[in-house]
Amino acid sequence: MFDLEYNVRSWSDHLRRRGNFKESDIIELENHLQDEIEELQKAGLSPEEAFLISVKRLGNVNAISQEFSKVNTENLWKHLMVESDQTLSFGQNRKYIALVIMFSFLAGTALKIPQLFGLSINDSVYGLIYLKNLSFFILPFVAAFFLIKHQATWKMSASIMGIFASAGIVINLYPSFSPNDTEILTALHLPLFLWLVTGVAYMGLEWKSSRGRMNFIRFTGESVIYGTLIFCGLIVLAMFTQAIFFAIQLDASWFIQNYLIVYGAAATAMITVYLVETKKSVVENFAPILAKIFSPLFLITMITFLIVMIVSGTSPFVEREYLIGFDFMLILVLGLVLYVISARNPYDKNNLFDYMNLALIVTALIIDGVALSAIVFRLSAYGITPNKVAALGENLLLLVNLAGLAWLYFLFFFKKIDFIKIEKWQTSYLALYAIWLGIVAFIFPIFEQLHLNP
Amino acid sequence: MNVSKDLTAASAIPFVLAILKQEDSYGYAIIKKVKELTGDELVWSEGMLYPVLHRLEEKNFIESYWQGSETGRKRKYYRIKEEGVAELELQKKQWEIVHSALSKTWLKLTKHKEEFIYV
Repeated sequence: MFDLEYNVRSWSDHLRRRGNFKESDIIELENHLQDEIEELQKAGLSPEEAFLISVKRLGNVNAISQEFSKVNTENLWKHLMVESDQTLSFGQNRKYIALVIMFSFLAGTALKIPQLFGLSINDSVYGLIYLKNLSFFILPFVAAFFLIKHQATWKMSASIMGIFASAGIVINLYPSFSPNDTEILTALHLPLFLWLVTGVAYMGLEWKSSRGRMNFIRFTGESVIYGTLIFCGLIVLAMFTQAIFFAIQLDASWFIQNYLIVYGAAATAMITVYLVETKKSVVENFAPILAKIFSPLFLITMITFLIVMIVSGTSPFVEREYLIGFDFMLILVLGLVLYVISARNPYDKNNLFDYMNLALIVTALIIDGVALSAIVFRLSAYGITPNKVAALGENLLLLVNLAGLAWLYFLFFFKKIDFIKIEKWQTSYLALYAIWLGIVAFIFPIFEQLHLNP
Repeated sequence: MNVSKDLTAASAIPFVLAILKQEDSYGYAIIKKVKELTGDELVWSEGMLYPVLHRLEEKNFIESYWQGSETGRKRKYYRIKEEGVAELELQKKQWEIVHSALSKTWLKLTKHKEEFIYV
């Protein structure tokens, strides 16, 4: 005997098992089936016939289930993607803003804690300690923000926070003595190293992939641009505060130095990364334009400089300070080149800006070559110092990077390779920077101590 | 003759909106209405109606509410919203454009044929 109720139930259970339906969807479909069965029975069909025909008319369960999955997972998908989309749900957005405010406050307060122990930030004696540790007051909070936002795995959060903690301990365990060569080196290299660590938090599980790293490069460029803008705003606010209180015979500089700038700087960092990350689409329209404006300007400046240097026959690398200055300029140019690459659609045909980028790379390569020869000369003439070894390593890294980029660009122009190859090579090369920065920050001080106290 | 699958799918939304514009209705009744209107020539896989209804609801064209029925089961009724009426007007215009353009072409084709025969 055909049990209609049992069969209808097993049909809806079958739907339930597919998992794409909400319970209300299933009730709705089951109602439909029962309406149809009743109608067919009224027309004189047996319950079994009515059931079979109704099921057939409702259609292929797989197809319906798939259609439903499209409708229902669209919702699900929206919930998952909400953070990278600008259609951020209101509640979620508020949660992140609360996090930004909280972390800004914590970072600012962290900067104040050493003062409780008498280490004044304005005292030049402690300047180096502050400089060395500056990144620890900000970057762990930035990293934590991304870890929370991307709901990182427990393992990843622990390893990143672990790196921050151990770096902080190791750096401060090294004894400090004059002339503090390696300490200054550490202070310069550590923030960059830790920024790359923060980058892993930003990229999450994608940190090994070329796409993830390219995103991080773009993110870095945009953070620099927007951070600078916001910080300028902060300076204006500080000056304004100073001016209006001065008008009523009150000196606000104490407040400004101790609170406004400290908390403001922490907030600048947090707000910048938040803005660049969430308002991606707004930023993406604007930042490539900046890159396109500045890369020709940099190119003109550098070519003019090269010509003047050759014509006048003077080497700019006699003074040590200039050498470091040039390194920074090269890093800036490389950053610009990378930024143009990251903002470019890898499937576009080559255009004017690709040639300009190559010209920029080649000019930087020549300048780097000159700088490198100066370093080698100084090394052989005045002996080895940590500074020179660090500079040598950096310039070699830059040289190989620029040469590699130039070579790949040539191959790209002659249609030997796809543009994506350039990206892949560059993103893999990032790891070398992380290693070298780590070596300078952590290993150099050890060598110096071995050298001084054998 | 059965209407092709693509055309059936394309006409589903205007059908649903037009039927709901007359009165609030539920899935099974909508299907029945479509069958009546087309004389069984438009064959819907009935289950496919529901994803369409849900999508329309998500787009804010229609809204739903549960109501008891004479059979004792609760039914999910759909009601058209202002946005849905506007959408229906829009779709109507689009179908009219296609319809009138196609009619003209067909008229020309038959004329052309006649001339050809005449020559």
